[in-house]
Amino acid sequence: MRLSYNWISELVDLHDIDAYKLADMLTTAGFEVEGIEPAAQGTNLVIGEVLECVDHPDSDHLHCTKVNIGDEVLNIVCGAPNCRTGLKVIVAKVGAVLPEITIKKGNIRGQESNGMLCSLRELGVNEKYLTEYQLAGIEELPADAEVGNTEVLKYLGLDDVVLEVGLTPNRADFMAMFSAAKEVSAITGRECKLPVNKKCEKELPATISISSKTEKCPLFLGKYIHNVEIKESPKWMVDRLHAAGIKSINNVVDISNYVMLETGQPLHFYDADKNTAKALCAESGKDMEYTALDGVTYHITEDDIVIMSGDNCAGIAGIMGGDDSKIDDTTKSIIIEAASFNAVSIRNSSRRFNLNTDACTRFIKGIEPMAAYKAMERCVDLLMEYAGSTEIEETVEYGSLNYTPTVFDVTLSFINNRLGTHYSIETVVDVLTKLNFAPEVNGETITVHVPSYRWDVSIPEDISEEVIRLVGYDSLESTLPMMPMTLGALNPVQRKRRLVEKELGAMGLTQVLTYTLVSEERKNMAVMPLEGTVTLASCLSEDRKHVRSSVLPSMLEVVSYNLARNANHVNIYEVSSVYGEKAVEERLGICLYGSLQELPWAKANITTDFYTLKGVIETLLERMGFDAARIMIKENTVDTTMFHPGKSAALYVGKDLVGVFGAIHPTMCKKYDIKEVYAAELKLSVLYETKVSKVKFTPLPKFPSSKRDLAFVIKNEVAVGKVVEAIKKVNKSMISSVEVFDIYQGEHVEKGYKSVALSIMYQLADKTITDQDILPVQEKIMATLEKEFDAVLRK
Amino acid sequence: MSEKIAQLKEKALAELATVETTKQLQDLKVQYLGKKGPIQELMMTMKDLSKEERPIFGQAVNEVKKYLESKFEEAAVVISERELAKKLEEEKIDITLPGYKMEHGNLHPLVLVQRELEDVFIGMGYTVEEGPEVEYDLYNFERANIPQDHPARDMQDTFYIDAERLLRTHTTAIQTRQLEAGKEKMPLKMICPGKVYRRDDDDATHSHQFTQIEGLVVAEGITLADLKGTLEFMARKILGEKCAVRFRPSFFPFTEPSVEVDISCHMCGGKGCNVCKHTGWIEVLGAGMVHPGVLEMAGIDSKKYSGFAFGVGIERIAMLKYGVDDIRHFYTNDLRFLKGFSRFE
Repeated sequence: MRLSYNWISELVDLHDIDAYKLADMLTTAGFEVEGIEPAAQGTNLVIGEVLECVDHPDSDHLHCTKVNIGDEVLNIVCGAPNCRTGLKVIVAKVGAVLPEITIKKGNIRGQESNGMLCSLRELGVNEKYLTEYQLAGIEELPADAEVGNTEVLKYLGLDDVVLEVGLTPNRADFMAMFSAAKEVSAITGRECKLPVNKKCEKELPATISISSKTEKCPLFLGKYIHNVEIKESPKWMVDRLHAAGIKSINNVVDISNYVMLETGQPLHFYDADKNTAKALCAESGKDMEYTALDGVTYHITEDDIVIMSGDNCAGIAGIMGGDDSKIDDTTKSIIIEAASFNAVSIRNSSRRFNLNTDACTRFIKGIEPMAAYKAMERCVDLLMEYAGSTEIEETVEYGSLNYTPTVFDVTLSFINNRLGTHYSIETVVDVLTKLNFAPEVNGETITVHVPSYRWDVSIPEDISEEVIRLVGYDSLESTLPMMPMTLGALNPVQRKRRLVEKELGAMGLTQVLTYTLVSEERKNMAVMPLEGTVTLASCLSEDRKHVRSSVLPSMLEVVSYNLARNANHVNIYEVSSVYGEKAVEERLGICLYGSLQELPWAKANITTDFYTLKGVIETLLERMGFDAARIMIKENTVDTTMFHPGKSAALYVGKDLVGVFGAIHPTMCKKYDIKEVYAAELKLSVLYETKVSKVKFTPLPKFPSSKRDLAFVIKNEVAVGKVVEAIKKVNKSMISSVEVFDIYQGEHVEKGYKSVALSIMYQLADKTITDQDILPVQEKIMATLEKEFDAVLRK
Repeated sequence: MSEKIAQLKEKALAELATVETTKQLQDLKVQYLGKKGPIQELMMTMKDLSKEERPIFGQAVNEVKKYLESKFEEAAVVISERELAKKLEEEKIDITLPGYKMEHGNLHPLVLVQRELEDVFIGMGYTVEEGPEVEYDLYNFERANIPQDHPARDMQDTFYIDAERLLRTHTTAIQTRQLEAGKEKMPLKMICPGKVYRRDDDDATHSHQFTQIEGLVVAEGITLADLKGTLEFMARKILGEKCAVRFRPSFFPFTEPSVEVDISCHMCGGKGCNVCKHTGWIEVLGAGMVHPGVLEMAGIDSKKYSGFAFGVGIERIAMLKYGVDDIRHFYTNDLRFLKGFSRFE
């Protein structure tokens, strides 16, 4: 909301409070001043008269002038086409500081120039308030302007400062100048003087019909003014409209806007001669096209409210009037509409039309209940004064005002207990008096009478806010809650999540965070999608349309992004909830590319491949407390679109599917423009819910163990994991571990075969193990290998 | 005879003085003191001497032998020390070559900041509560005292899914659920972190997805002054012990009174700088006393209990803390950016 300092200081005595001080006080009281904008700016200005204006000898558009500024005559070169002898002008003398330039003594193409003749734009006046003529040249002052007057901005009525006030939604009342004045009066503790309206001494009987056929217009006031004289508005009114951001049209239209600014009530003036029915009726719209004042045609539906005049539509209620009954230079008489319209309906219409007018903004944000009456009275006063109106009919009122004053009790202790303050009853009463809440004190109890324009106040808690808001928050103490002890702690899931983050970080993976909303394409790439996609009713862009049910499709974008920026390694994970129509699941995504550990000049790397990824997952699960025996790696039948079918696997804990991991499918890699990436998507929710083994002490072995290596050649397609399992089964009590330490293909190994080398650790619980103990087991292992896997032992 | 011994001694010492390596020393030792060496030879000649001369001669030879042995030992120590020094010298490496650094991953900066806040409040007895991001209108708006058609819904343009569901616009939705669930478990003391969503076009300062953390305390006799003290405590732990807190009146439908909370600028200490736009203060939080309607709708007696609530944007804190100038960095996940946040400090 744009608040003119000059205007407010006319309603409240602010003689020793300048615009900047006022801005601070407003901000402190909850009306945040977001900007301070002078109407115009300029130092060293003076009014002058052009004594002589001749063409510059060296230019086709410049003039050389002699300008009388009272105490001297200046030579000034001026380029404005309208510069001429006899003109009264604004002179910026040498040293003048204007918004965009500082005036220096100059020499323009051989001619001395000691200042500048100014346009209003050069003084910083917003272009939208200036005519094309004003924009094309220097400002032409009236012939009676006093030469030598240095109070130029004041003379122009441009010495105003506009405060841009950010209003919280509960304080739309401040949009009415009269309410703002009362608030400023309460904040500053100064008296507020609102204009007293002159009344028309003898109003004529009403001859027009005013009505409403819709609940969305509960109150409709109409008034017929038989004579108005269209002319220019007085300058002060134009300046105030400008300060508020409204363009001046003519005196009558300006009065309707000015009264809206004062009272907050949007008004509409109809040219009465063009309203042959002499009737206005608010009703629901019918399906039709309607061209409004702005020349745009809108499609009206039954959800809109329209104002009908007989069979003709005269306007879209609360938003914009019609073109055919607008006030213009030929207007002789008017009908005034001051009505109350349903805010929700106006908001919906405004949105559908994509049309935001001053009027509809006010209806949407809320208007004081009494505003229509106040506005009507004010219109009469201003029309009589500035439009020569004399024949004025009585107001026709349809419907009724649905307003009962808000009165309630609040106690001093309630206020102090809620705030943690020690205010006295005097302090509280003083604030409430300033706010016009007419407090009545009865012991500790205060009865408040809330004024009609403060419809945001209705409960004792509101009063506590009013009091501290005006006393000031700075004196509020800092205390800590006195309450029973509570345990501060993470819950088990939160603890497990932190564990996952810690372990993956320790393994060299960096956490990423990607958007929840994804495109159709990404949605369709989901790994283990949850049933039923959650889709936005209306999205901002096609890229952000669905709530994702998988993290990998978004994470691969991160890989792609980083590879495009020459990252050598991209090792990332993300922990995020994903959604389906009926379920929520927490997922872990992992992507590995390049090396996990790289020691460049030592030539030792942990490059990422399937086994690196598998190792990361196995390590993580182990650290989370899952025994290796419970982790099942099976063939990937879950998702072979995202994953390379031959280089991926499905992970189970017991019978529960936890996720899929492996190389990303080459077709997918192409889509993302990435090279070989290894990735996993795991259901953390399943891991969180699955019981893990207890951390428990196992006695250390009392007797030494013994290691035997074993190397053999098997067919390529034989799974080493199965071989290892078979070996373990040979003698579970004696074999404590089987480790793969080499896999070899190439020279000396027949094509289609691989050489496998294993270390087998033997151990006995009750004695030191000997060759005699090991030999039979080792032989049995060899026999098993030969028999079950066609293995050929290497010596 | 004794002359011969003396000569032998001199010769041995002269040769010993030229020895440089352990090997040469060993050879020399064998040469003089070995079984075929001159000392042994002298010993062999003893049998030719008279009974009287024998002990004297024997003693003399022994003395020389012992003397030489001790000299050889001394030389051995010196030489091995010298050799060790030489070996160490030869083994010298280039300590300026880079170490084999262990790659260690980072937490996402937003998670880092969130954890820090969580830990401060856990230390003050708060629990950490979460809730669904796909939320019912009921918990996101209605229960937060924002009924249908309330003007506040204009402030938060929302991603609706259908008439009843939406992507939560604030973590207040977690609070309204927790209030309902907690009405039998008073007092309540919790923080609620989570992702939230608004219909904003992404730019340097707006993101359609961001992260909030809200706090809620409901008990008997909770005051606005308690809120100020709590936020002051938090600000000092997160942004530094000199932090001051300022309240300004504001409006939220779910709190009354409502305040905007400014924290004194940690960059300039309140003197005024670019970060605080020369005001000395930075707006970081919205807060207030829980609106009685919010308590009543959850089934909590607002006459008996009062509470405060506050909400802070994690991105905002992270941007302030680390001087990040564009909110989109957090969601672009450029590794060069993410690698910069290894600890909170």
